[in-house]
Amino acid sequence: MNKSLFLKTFTALILSSFLVFSAGTAHAKRLTAAVADWTGGEITCQVAVSMLEQELGYRVDRIEFASGTGLWEAIAAGDIDFACESWPSYAEADDVMLNEPLYYDGEVVQEYSGTGEVMAFTTGIIGASDYYVPKYFVDANPDFNGWEDLNKFKDQFATVETGSKGRLIGCPVAGWNCHDQKRLDIMGIDFEAVELGTEVALLAEAQGSYDRQEPFLMYLWEPHFFFGKNEMVGIGLPPHQACDSFTEANNWQDCGMGSWPASNWAKDYTMNYMNPATMQKPENAEALAFFKKMKFANVDQAKMLVRVGDDGLSVEEAVQEWKDSTNDWQAWLP
Amino acid sequence: MAFTQDTSAFSSKNNYQNLIIPGIIFAALLFSIWLVFQSEDVSEFPVFVTDSFTFTAWVNQGEDFLKDNIKVYTRAVAAYVKELYWMLEDFLLDSSWVFIVALLLIPSLAFGGIKLGFLVLFGTMYWGMVGLWDSAMETLALMGLSVFLSVVVGVILGIFCALSDRFERNMKPALDVMQVMPAFVYLIPAMFFFGIGGAPAILATMIYSMPPIIRLTNLGIRQVPNETIETATAFGSTKSQVLFKVQIPLALPSIMMGVNQTIMMALALVVLATFIGAQGLGSDIWVSIKKLEVGAALEGGFCVLLMAIMFDRFGKAASRETVTLPVDSQKFYLLPQTWDIYPLARQIEKPLMYIHIAVAFIFSSIIRIFSFVINLVVSLFNKDYGRLIEQFINAHYFMFSGIFILLGIIYYDSNITTIGSFPDSWNLSIRDEIAAGVKSLTVNPTFIEITRSIRATVVIYLLRPLDTYLTYLPYWFTIGALVLMSWKAVGLRFAIVTAFLLAFIGACNIWTEAMITLSSVLISVLLCFVIGVPIGIMASYSKRFQNINEVILDAMQTLPYFCYLVPVLMFFGGGSFSALLATIIYAIPPIIRLTVLGLSQVSTTYSEVSRSFGGSTLQTLSKIKFPLAVPSLVMGFNQTVMMAFAMQIVTPLIGGKGLGLEVFNGLARSDTGRALAAGIGICLLAMIIDRISLAYTKKQRDALGL
Repeated sequence: MNKSLFLKTFTALILSSFLVFSAGTAHAKRLTAAVADWTGGEITCQVAVSMLEQELGYRVDRIEFASGTGLWEAIAAGDIDFACESWPSYAEADDVMLNEPLYYDGEVVQEYSGTGEVMAFTTGIIGASDYYVPKYFVDANPDFNGWEDLNKFKDQFATVETGSKGRLIGCPVAGWNCHDQKRLDIMGIDFEAVELGTEVALLAEAQGSYDRQEPFLMYLWEPHFFFGKNEMVGIGLPPHQACDSFTEANNWQDCGMGSWPASNWAKDYTMNYMNPATMQKPENAEALAFFKKMKFANVDQAKMLVRVGDDGLSVEEAVQEWKDSTNDWQAWLP
Repeated sequence: MAFTQDTSAFSSKNNYQNLIIPGIIFAALLFSIWLVFQSEDVSEFPVFVTDSFTFTAWVNQGEDFLKDNIKVYTRAVAAYVKELYWMLEDFLLDSSWVFIVALLLIPSLAFGGIKLGFLVLFGTMYWGMVGLWDSAMETLALMGLSVFLSVVVGVILGIFCALSDRFERNMKPALDVMQVMPAFVYLIPAMFFFGIGGAPAILATMIYSMPPIIRLTNLGIRQVPNETIETATAFGSTKSQVLFKVQIPLALPSIMMGVNQTIMMALALVVLATFIGAQGLGSDIWVSIKKLEVGAALEGGFCVLLMAIMFDRFGKAASRETVTLPVDSQKFYLLPQTWDIYPLARQIEKPLMYIHIAVAFIFSSIIRIFSFVINLVVSLFNKDYGRLIEQFINAHYFMFSGIFILLGIIYYDSNITTIGSFPDSWNLSIRDEIAAGVKSLTVNPTFIEITRSIRATVVIYLLRPLDTYLTYLPYWFTIGALVLMSWKAVGLRFAIVTAFLLAFIGACNIWTEAMITLSSVLISVLLCFVIGVPIGIMASYSKRFQNINEVILDAMQTLPYFCYLVPVLMFFGGGSFSALLATIIYAIPPIIRLTVLGLSQVSTTYSEVSRSFGGSTLQTLSKIKFPLAVPSLVMGFNQTVMMAFAMQIVTPLIGGKGLGLEVFNGLARSDTGRALAAGIGICLLAMIIDRISLAYTKKQRDALGL
């Protein structure tokens, strides 16, 4: 009885060792990428990945990992080889890992003097962020002129969950370092920032409110397909002004009004960032050369965003469609 | 006369005493509500405490120290595991899909017969047909490697436990703690020490899924009767001979049971490991959840479910003691044996029987020829070996024919036509239909109105009041109340421990978050009772309902727990109410199960007696059965609370708040101290409530003499 059981185990062992010994060859040109957690970033990433896979013969493992400091540290540690479309004004705590000027169109757009654990190159996409209200709200309330007037109208923005305060459909992902609540508090806006967890949840909430023609305040960025279908108006946050003491080491000491985080985000020259040690390996020379030359355009990303967001294509399909329709990307190849 | 007066005085005193405790509780409650109205802001620990107890900073400093000193070694281990994982993953992904299907199918046929064969065939084809073949292979690779490693390490540890009482004594508390910890807890240190991706996922899974194999190896070896060992020793066996020739072979059934449990636990965690960057089905489900793609998420979840059922059934079949090849042991191959009264069933089974006979004949003939040839060749050198090998091959014709088929597929794939990846045209996916159906429902104004009003009711009348109550209630009152409770239920020592643990949470400056977590756990448990107990009562009265219930509950416990976010997201969108609802769906099975168990355990004599005294069904239920089922219900309460706590870690994905959100934020901002403090906070709260309710259950059971 036990003999038969033992032989069965033996059979299983034989089968499994058979399995291990017949294992195939490992891929030499293999990279690990973190896929961004918003649609625009996903598109930029997929553009890069499709170039690496289809044109340069790499195998890219795509890992789901929330963007933020954790991702930067993972890249510095070499767990992930590269990630796409970081927005510098969101990467406030992370840019200490960069130690090279960032170029756009041959001009330096930002200087860094950090540790150099991570290297970065511009993607070509330029981003802008703000808080927005629907146009119908502004039309119905002519005396609403911008963020200073939000408190006057807070009752219209209140929901079941926020009680007497108004609701801001805030930045959905904690790792993006938006500091929504902090911003509202410093600026004296009696609103509560609601963090919904994902871009899609934020859009679903906003779209639902828009369809019901309710007043709502939301965080969003451009380029984004939401603006194609819905007319939104920015509330004109004060222009970006950096604040040096607003770091974890300083226990998030803010600089008061008019300064980050009580200001708008900067105009963001977005960047792809990667582990320098991995990229300097000889087998990755082609990948490095590609990242240096890649220059994606807002127009192209916006077109693909509409295909994904409104026409229901997957990111892969949209990127493949764009790649088949143009030859612009040929110039980025080494 | 005097006697009766005495008793009445005694009983009134008794009544009076009975009122004291509820009276005190009621007074304390009123006092606490008064306190809440007095406080102007949420209650927080004094600043001098939180400022001097900088746990977060200590952890982060410790992390830097470890980064400089230990990480080199842990990373080396991770790199080695990563190589192994890549090798296995490449093999699974690069092999033709036909080969993989055959590889899984043949052993299932050999051990479980045609029935299991069909299940495995359907399961594997399903992965391909919903377009998740590659992800399924990645999950399979992660799971296979972690199970392999935990079985190797676990069996060795189990043997040590069995051989040394001291080792066992030291091991036991560790194993106990490992089993209480929610699965997610393993992922944070794994990420910290081993990085991101497949390797840390495998190492975390290994540690998480090892306890059952250690326990059952130890148990199996210890259960070998002393007489057997003495006999072996009397025949002159050495200690190691006894171990390897007698004890381990006799413990094999127990060890196999451990392997089976390990597989199930590994699958659960491997799917969850997408949070630390592991690829596979879990990652697909997570992406679908993030994009609110309900259909895709459900299909991913179904793939995991099928995988779990397949391995479970296979493990059970393989650890069965006798070979049950359906030769003569049963009449039917596929359908239940009792159906042989139906002509249709006989018609369905007839061709299967012929096929089986034909296949068995062909294969055994081929193998016989093969073994005969081998025998001839070997006999040229040694006649005895030749005969032995022939016998061995004939006895294992399933194994050898399996290997022939696999080699045949490899040969065909590499030399004749490349089979390649799973054909796209074989498509069974209904994700678009599901998505469209859900969408049409969610834009329906009546539906929106209904969900909205449910949401508003729960938030306004339950969630917000309790949130406010617990967060505004001064911390010293809450701590005092919990300490008193643990003192009454468990004992003085645990009361002191409780005080320290709660003080830790407060000192870490996460008191408010902890109270929000506690409030959502309490409300979801309350709602679990309100919904689960009636279902349990219904199930205990209807056998058929109970059967359906069992199947659904089994499936619910096999699914990875963030799958429960999907239906909620579908109908209610994000927010704290949705987080609550997902928790309820996940945590309700034990309540239903244990209600059924408790009610059906009540001996029929009691209900007969009650009925003969003219009690109606309702009276019997409320006066007799229900009170007797209370201990079982409290047990259900205990399990539900633990599951509700476990769920708190994933609910931030759809808008949950409290400690879970702190863990997420800490991880995303690479603030290990913050994530760790919040994670520990959840575990501590769960532990305190677990201990109190377990002790209370025990008292109830003792009082009822069960």
